[in-house]
Amino acid sequence: MTTSRSLVSVVDDDESVRESLPDLLREFGFAARAFASAEEFLASDCVAHTNCLILDIAMPGMGGPALQRELSRRQWAIPIVFITANRDDSIRPRLLEAGAVDCLFKPFSETALLEALSVALRSN
Amino acid sequence: MENEIARFVDALPGSVFTAPPDGRFDLVRSVLDDLPVLSALMDASGRLEFANRQLLAYFGKSLEELKDWGKAGIIHPDDLPGVCEAWDRALQSGTALDIEYRNRCADGIYRWFQTRGSPIRDAEGRIVLWHIVPLDIDDRKRAEAELAGEKQLLEMIASGRPLPDVLDALCKFFETAATGCLCGVYPIDWSGPTFQNAAAPSLPASYIAPMEGLPVRLDVAPCGVAAQTRTQVIVEDIESDSRWRDSSYRAHVLGHALRSVWSTPISSLDGRVLGTFCIYRRTPATPSSHQQELIAQVTHIASIALDRERKEAELKRSEAFLAQAQRLTLTGSLWWKTSTGEITWSEESYRLLEYPVTVTPTVELILRRCHPEDLPLVQEKVASAVRDGVNTDFEHRLVMPNGAVKHIHIVMQNVGFDSGAPEFMGAVTDITEWKLAQEKLRQSETYLAEAQKLSLTGSIGWRVADDQHFWSDETYRIFGYHPSTLISFPLILQRVHPEDLEVVQRALAEAQDGRDFDYEYRLLMPDGSVKHLHLVAHGMRDRDGRLEYIGAVQDVTQQRRSEEALGELRSELAHVSRVTSLGTLTASIAHEVSQPLSGIITNASTCLRMLASDPPNVDGARETARRTIRDGHRASEVITRLRALFARKTPTMEPVELNEATREVMALSRSELQRSRTTIRMELAEDLPLVMGDRVQLQQVIMNLLRNASEAMSEVDDRPREIVIRTARDKDDRVIVSVQDAGSGFEPHSAEKMFDAFYTTKQHGMGIGLSVSRSIIESHRGRLWAVPNDGPGVTFSFSIPRSLEEEGVEAHEHGDSARSLVAPDVPALGSV
Repeated sequence: MTTSRSLVSVVDDDESVRESLPDLLREFGFAARAFASAEEFLASDCVAHTNCLILDIAMPGMGGPALQRELSRRQWAIPIVFITANRDDSIRPRLLEAGAVDCLFKPFSETALLEALSVALRSN
Repeated sequence: MENEIARFVDALPGSVFTAPPDGRFDLVRSVLDDLPVLSALMDASGRLEFANRQLLAYFGKSLEELKDWGKAGIIHPDDLPGVCEAWDRALQSGTALDIEYRNRCADGIYRWFQTRGSPIRDAEGRIVLWHIVPLDIDDRKRAEAELAGEKQLLEMIASGRPLPDVLDALCKFFETAATGCLCGVYPIDWSGPTFQNAAAPSLPASYIAPMEGLPVRLDVAPCGVAAQTRTQVIVEDIESDSRWRDSSYRAHVLGHALRSVWSTPISSLDGRVLGTFCIYRRTPATPSSHQQELIAQVTHIASIALDRERKEAELKRSEAFLAQAQRLTLTGSLWWKTSTGEITWSEESYRLLEYPVTVTPTVELILRRCHPEDLPLVQEKVASAVRDGVNTDFEHRLVMPNGAVKHIHIVMQNVGFDSGAPEFMGAVTDITEWKLAQEKLRQSETYLAEAQKLSLTGSIGWRVADDQHFWSDETYRIFGYHPSTLISFPLILQRVHPEDLEVVQRALAEAQDGRDFDYEYRLLMPDGSVKHLHLVAHGMRDRDGRLEYIGAVQDVTQQRRSEEALGELRSELAHVSRVTSLGTLTASIAHEVSQPLSGIITNASTCLRMLASDPPNVDGARETARRTIRDGHRASEVITRLRALFARKTPTMEPVELNEATREVMALSRSELQRSRTTIRMELAEDLPLVMGDRVQLQQVIMNLLRNASEAMSEVDDRPREIVIRTARDKDDRVIVSVQDAGSGFEPHSAEKMFDAFYTTKQHGMGIGLSVSRSIIESHRGRLWAVPNDGPGVTFSFSIPRSLEEEGVEAHEHGDSARSLVAPDVPALGSV
């Protein structure tokens, strides 16, 4: 655990996720920020401070995997936990191979989220 | 009589006149005077001493005038020198004289006489007198001349001299025999009828020319009357004859200084009037009996000439016809007298053998044209024809000078009387064209056979009444019989697959009434292999009214096998697609529902954590709980939307041809039906209107009805398991499809219940299928119903209105909302 609260950023086009997930993260003890799109996140001042990124795969505009590639290109090594409503088992290994910490299928449990976050922040 | 007396005088013994005393001369003179013949006495120097009364009267001369007879002007000037010379010779030699010449009689006309002179000698044998007897032989002479003329005319006719020449000669002959007459022959062309080609050598053209082409009528001229009435017409003097007073003909005749006209019809032996013979005289006259005799004679000869001309024209015409016929049929005729080697060819024979008509035909010429390969045959035929005189008939080839080959057919018949010397009449026909056509036919038959072999299609003919079969080679091959086998029904049935035997037998029974066939059945070959055959046959009546089927039988085993394989592939594919679409559906449902679920779970977790904190964050918990409820509603909305999408079931509307759709279902179901030993008869109406609908859904209904029908008969063994599929068009322009089975049927009260979702009389549970079928049909604004048959079984039918468009049913496209939802696939039917 770090002294200052770790910042977890959420990027999802679904509003209910943007509403609910930051609250839960704060309950966990993290600082949380929500963005409606990858572009919004990249344009914000949070990129440098984000300790973990919770990222939706399918979004209008730049999708999750594209943002992952962009961050890697910019050499921002932010641990990423993907979330998706499409239960496509084939996508998970590809994402993990590309450096993602985990990929959670919606709806996911509190426990699964916490586990993924702890792995992500440990790797930090 | 005269001749007899003359002979009597001649016969008087010379002694009576031998040196008679002067007194006895008077006696002799008085005797001679009394004789009814011409008689005269001449002295030794040739002067006339005495002429009897008859002689003086005959010539109208006195003895004085006749004494120096050479100058008396009675002997024809042309004959006088000859007569003088003859007398000079007789007087010198003392031999009797007999000479013919013309004398001029008292009427001024020369007549022929035969004059005999006999010497009378005295006792010393010196000639003292000559007794002369001139005998009038003019009648005999003329008859002889006429006979000679007639003979000459007949010779002209017989030798084929041109008709105008003969007719001219005829006129001349008459004019010679009957002086003072001018003649014309007017042949008649009865097609007019008109006078044509008149012959009148002594009449001027100005007279004859206007006569040409004159109609043969009673009012035209004496010739018209003679021809029409078939009687002689005598106009003694046209100037005064009342019959011609008003005729232009009168002026024409008078204008040529003619007065009398005698016209006589020229009739053939069979009574036809061929023309008229007309005589004109420059003075009024009627014909003498001699002239009438001459007229009869001349018209007779003219009839022969005209008849011959007519017959020759006919002969020429028929010869022309024959030549034309030979030309057209490429048939030449020939005649061959073997004993003399004489051969005659018709013109066409020359043309056929390509020899100039100037060559004399020989057997050698024919053999020279013979194709070398056929030469032995022809030589043999010719030899046996000559040897045995038998009729012969054969074909062979010719090689023409330009190298072309001709096929000819020769027929020869022995028409000779003498069996030892055959005489052949024959015909030779150029059959090259026919041969080529035959070759072509043979070739096209070969092609057809080849085509049948390649397409595994045989042709058949079947005369029902006497069970006569006509099979092509391919049909024999399909059935595995040798082409020499005599085909009969037992033989056909022997090959039919036992399971199809009933179908075939029924088809044959129905064939008795001439209905067309279109059946599929199987053969079980001796080696145990199965062949699928498709038989199509059309019934028709032959000229004798006997029923005859012409058809084709195709070996469709390969097609059936591929169709079966295709069918399996299709059902596999259908399964795959169903699974796939279900998977896609699941994924979409999952996606749509998991979003709000995700929110619910996250909010609920947050809510619990807020309540569990110390102090509990009640406001935060309330807010998250509210969000949980909101997301719950959202999830439920998703479900509602999904349900709505399912319920909408927007079908793909398109124009559907129900016959075609039915045939496709048939093709898919054939193997399945065959396995259940069910036969199908299709009675599809022609000219069905298109209906608007979802082709696949309608096909699923048809398939469902077919399976129902098939299963309804699964326990039927006492009658054929036959399904009849019909399409029709009702009076309201709806298209009806019906499926008739011969199954166990249903109870009348269950007719409606049958369509309830879970009702079924069968173990395999078709109930859902019927219920879904009905809802599909109803969504097409149609109707599905069932009626029990008169016999066993049920008929299910549905009807669809011709056009749904007019009733405002739209063909929807899926909107954006359906992005994640596939069109419903009527999975309920697919699983039936």
